[in-house]
Amino acid sequence: MSNAANAAGVARPIKGLARRAAITGLGLALAFADRTSIADVVAVVSSKSAITALSKSQIEDIFFGRVAHLPGGLQPVPLDQAEGSLARDEFYTKVAGKSPAQMKAYWSRIIFTGRGQPPKEVTSDTDLRKRVAKDPTAIGYIDASLVNESVRVVF
Amino acid sequence: MTRTDNSTCNAWRRCLEHLRHALGVCILGVALWQAPAENAKGAVDDPPDRPMFSLDGFGTLGVVHSSEDNAEFTGSGLMPTGAGYGHSWSAAVGSLIAAQVTANVTSKLSAVLQVVSEQNYDDTYTPHLEWANVKYQFTPDFDVRVGRTALPIFMLTDTRLISYASPWVRLPVELYDLVPVTSNDGVDASYRMPVGAGTNTVQFTAGGSDTRFPEADGSGTIHARGLRTLADTLEEGFATVRVTYGRAHVTIAEFDPLFDEFRQFGPQGAAIADRYEVDSRVVNFLGVGASYDPGKWFVMSELGHFNSHSLPGDDTGWYVSGGPRLGRFTLFATYAARKVESNRSDPGLTVTGLPPSLAIAATEFNAVLNTELASIAVERTISTGVRWDFAKDIDFKFQIDHTRNGAGSPGTLEDLQPGFKPGGTVNLLNASLDFVFD
Repeated sequence: MSNAANAAGVARPIKGLARRAAITGLGLALAFADRTSIADVVAVVSSKSAITALSKSQIEDIFFGRVAHLPGGLQPVPLDQAEGSLARDEFYTKVAGKSPAQMKAYWSRIIFTGRGQPPKEVTSDTDLRKRVAKDPTAIGYIDASLVNESVRVVF
Repeated sequence: MTRTDNSTCNAWRRCLEHLRHALGVCILGVALWQAPAENAKGAVDDPPDRPMFSLDGFGTLGVVHSSEDNAEFTGSGLMPTGAGYGHSWSAAVGSLIAAQVTANVTSKLSAVLQVVSEQNYDDTYTPHLEWANVKYQFTPDFDVRVGRTALPIFMLTDTRLISYASPWVRLPVELYDLVPVTSNDGVDASYRMPVGAGTNTVQFTAGGSDTRFPEADGSGTIHARGLRTLADTLEEGFATVRVTYGRAHVTIAEFDPLFDEFRQFGPQGAAIADRYEVDSRVVNFLGVGASYDPGKWFVMSELGHFNSHSLPGDDTGWYVSGGPRLGRFTLFATYAARKVESNRSDPGLTVTGLPPSLAIAATEFNAVLNTELASIAVERTISTGVRWDFAKDIDFKFQIDHTRNGAGSPGTLEDLQPGFKPGGTVNLLNASLDFVFD
């Protein structure tokens, strides 16, 4: 069999397969797409912090481990909520349009090239609020309904 | 070429066996060192501690089917076996497992050790040291690493093994197989600075490396010395642009016997040897790439130019890829091409006028030279596929590649058999599971 004939023979089933795969893929994608969001997540710092407001790109730089050059030379230390928590998923969708898997892929690139480590993790909204309240250099995110006088919403 | 017939299960089993050894050592090390760090953790109110040592890993279990029975698709010139001749399905292409230990000695001093088990040039899965370096973070924006690091050749070179970090089954071979040397033993310095609303990072690397590759009878080595690369990466919002330039003095001694023969034929033979010999030859490359990834979709394109000033030629590879993300699915399509600017044939030695015995030898050497030149890859590939993030830290990918080799070229296929016809088309079916763990 000549190469061309051989290739054509294989191409036909491949085309069929591709079509089936695409249809199945699309169906599944629609089924899983867009989990409805209910939480409203806000970025918070300690009420003792000098930071009053941050832009989306400053927030992204801080939480993606890129150095954010804030006025006054401040270097906030980011804190993450637990992996799989609603607050965390919502926060990264809001700030960077990234899904948990995309964030994992992003950190894989950083960790496995020795370029850095992801933010430290806390266990819950209230744990985060407590840590941020006490530490003027920390920044985190919590559900908007849990904001109290100990923390300040910056984004 | 001698090849071990390697079944799918066999490749995975050997890969895992070796990794178990390597991992055992790593885990023991981490267990010994992490114990005091865990104990040092204070009350709940203290900020969460970063353990001094952390263990992370990643891997891929992949299979590839090739429609070409008379050659092998290995995905890299450094791997001895693949899909096609001998085994139409192969698990050797892309399957690997890796473990990494990161040591945060102080807030400024850290070290990384990464061990990878994948198909080696000699068809073993003995783990090798992919990374072994010590980093000193002088300021939050400036660090220096000493030891083994990945060369910043193209945008994804340093993450090329982490399939979980990419939408595709593999990085486009048309570009990424262009420069076979990917690691550097030496020094690497990185400096970043704000530019507008973005960040600009300049990375300079200096050192050298030895890269082994499979050969008809054994293996060869690419010796790169005086290796220098300079990479500039600009990131702003969803956009990334990167330009890289690199050069080195490269020696591949395995070609010497052929060119020694040419030199026996006087000035004409010496001129041919001087032109093609890979002996401390200045080799340079240039890479330009850009990506835009707002999350719901991505697009990415890169172009690389490689000039060996010798036998491997003066080559250009590029690709463009993109697709939408629908929930847990990423659909993508890629077009990739490789072309060569240098000659793919040479008139060689003038045979007429030579005594008959020398004429036979000259004809033979001319044929060997022309076989080498003709095997330079020229090809274009259309790929389409899907990545499915079906569970935490693991994805499944399926990809189809349709490659058309340039006239007279085998493309990036290896292990060409007598029945192989250059310039044809090849279809690949790929499936893989990629994972990361900590």
